[in-house]
Formats: sequence, structure tokens, C-alpha cells
Amino acid sequence: MSSATLAARRVLAAAASHGAEEAGAKTWKILTFVLAFPGVGVCMANAYMKMQAHGDHQPEFVPYSHLRIRTKKFPWGDGNHSLFHNGHTNALPDGYESSEH
Amino acid sequence: MAHQAHAYHMVDPSPWPLTGAVAALLLTSGTAIWMHFNSMSLMSLGMILLLLTIYQWWRDIIREGTFQGHHTPPVQKGLRYGMILFITSEVFFFLGFFWAFYHSSLAPTPELGGCWPPTGITTLDPFEVPLLNTAVLLASGVTVTWAHHSIMEGQRKQAIQSLTLTILLGFYFTFLQGMEYYEAPFTIADGVYGSTFFVATGFHGLHVIIGSSFLAVCLLRQVQFHFTSKHHFGFEAAAWYWHFVDVVWLFLYISIYWWGS
Repeated sequence: MSSATLAARRVLAAAASHGAEEAGAKTWKILTFVLAFPGVGVCMANAYMKMQAHGDHQPEFVPYSHLRIRTKKFPWGDGNHSLFHNGHTNALPDGYESSEH
Repeated sequence: MAHQAHAYHMVDPSPWPLTGAVAALLLTSGTAIWMHFNSMSLMSLGMILLLLTIYQWWRDIIREGTFQGHHTPPVQKGLRYGMILFITSEVFFFLGFFWAFYHSSLAPTPELGGCWPPTGITTLDPFEVPLLNTAVLLASGVTVTWAHHSIMEGQRKQAIQSLTLTILLGFYFTFLQGMEYYEAPFTIADGVYGSTFFVATGFHGLHVIIGSSFLAVCLLRQVQFHFTSKHHFGFEAAAWYWHFVDVVWLFLYISIYWWGS
């Protein structure tokens, strides 16, 4: 089993050393609902609030030559848009596309 | 039927190594042809052949191990070594991309503005979605451990629940990362920053998808009673792989998202 699993098991066995049994399914089930899921929940709330705070922000366009490289066309579409192109946040080499929201 | 005087598995002749090799050839040459001659045929053919190879080769291994009893303890030990060696090779694969990242970011060239992040790059806030992604993967490490113990204790329903949660968390990560890719104010074409970011995180994302698929197959097998409390190596291999994916993310998060911002 992975060293991460072994390490975690040692920690839990040590923590449960006063007579309790080795960390079993019950322990990890508890950890899932008491630690893991609340942790994810807190991070979800945090990310959501931070996104609301500064939402739509379009970075200023400066035609730097070290960015927006087009040495070779992309092998799709017009060859000028990256795979996850976002018209609002990704400028083309000449600037943002005219149809920005 | 002849009996063997040893515990090892003498595998029957199989066409899948050959189809896998042909698929690899078609995929690599096909991708090159796609990039230069605008034809997706060879690449698509290679993809189809790869998927067929994957499905049938691993189906055969499951038949040999679960239904025909060929996975004796020594054979299982060999499979363990094999998975460990494979994951080790993947570690080296990612090491290369981390090397590229540190090479470019520790001594940023004048063309970039002599600084990292390069001039004009708006980085992602490491404490927004990337932090959530970290929590999601760590949580999935907890749920997959819950699943393992459930299997070892013969708790069928819990094993199914925890394995399903693990897979859902994996899907959630992929969804969040896809959203990040779309919303990012920089692209892969934005110099060496874009290259290192998207190649490293991109290959990681591919491994998350592969790991999720591996776990999904384990879920199907668990539902169909393939695993016993003492013998479930397919699941263990998937869990090892999943922990590996989690660890790679932690390194990505610390290096690229946090230190590199």
C-alpha cells in the first residue's frame, strides 16, 4: 500500500493508542464527514466569496512580444484561438476581440 | 488439461500488445500529421485502436485473475512490483516538467521582463479555486482510504458509497479545473509561463481523468463481487495511482500556483 496510506495509518494508530482498535473503515468514514467534506465546504465558500468580490476583470491589453505567441497556427478553427479561448479574458495578438461582454 | 508445477502465470498468446503498439504508432504519427497537414484520420484511428486495446487487454486480465485463479500470491507480488515501477516512471515524467518550470522561473530571461511571473501575466489567485481543488483531492484521498478499509472489512455497501464519493470528487476536480482553464487570463501561447503552466497542469488533469476511470472500473467490479476482503489488488493499484495523482497536485500547487504567483 502507498506510503501515504501507511503514514496515515501510523498516525491514527498512534492517536488511538489508548486501547482503541486500529484505524478501520469507521475511523475513515468519520474523517470523511468531519474533516474532509467540511474542509471542501469551507474552500467552496471561500472561493465563491472571493470570486464575487472581484468578478469580471479584464486585464489591460499591452501588445507584448513575449506573450500571445503565434509561431505556428493552432491546428483548429482559424488557428488564432487557444483551445480554452475566452473572449473576455484572453486577448488575441492584436487585442481583445470586438465582441466582448 | 495439463497442470503446472509452479505458482506463476504463463499467459496465453494475446493480440493486444501488438494492437497497443500499432495504436501508439498511429497516435504519434497521426498527431504530427494533424499538426502539419490538417488531417485527423490517423490520429482518430489510433485513438479508437487504443481504446479497444485498453478495454480488451484489461478485460482479459480480470478474467485471468478473478475468474480463472491465475493471480496466486507470487503473481500478485509481481503485479505489485509492476504498478510501483510504473508509478515511479510517471514520477520521472512529471519531474521533467517541474524541471522545465524551475529552469524558466528561477532565472527569468530579459525577454520576459527579467521577472517571474513575466511582465503582462495576470496569475490565478492560489487561494481561490486552486485551494478548493487541493481540498477536493485531499478529501478524495480520505474517501479512497475509507473505501479500502471497507473492502478489507467486508463492508460491501460502505465500500460502494466511499468509492462513489471518491470518483465524484475526482469529477468535481476535473470540472473545476476545466472552468479555471476557460476563465484564465493567460493561454498556453503566453510564452514560457503559459507553456509550463498548461503542460504541467494539463498532464496532471489527464492523470486525474485516467485515475477516475480506473476507480470507476473498480466500482463496477466491486458491485459485481469481484473483490474479496483479502484479494483486491486492482483496487489497491487504483488507490496507489490516485494517491500519486494527489501528491503531484500538491507539488504543482506549491510550485506553480503558489510560489510561482
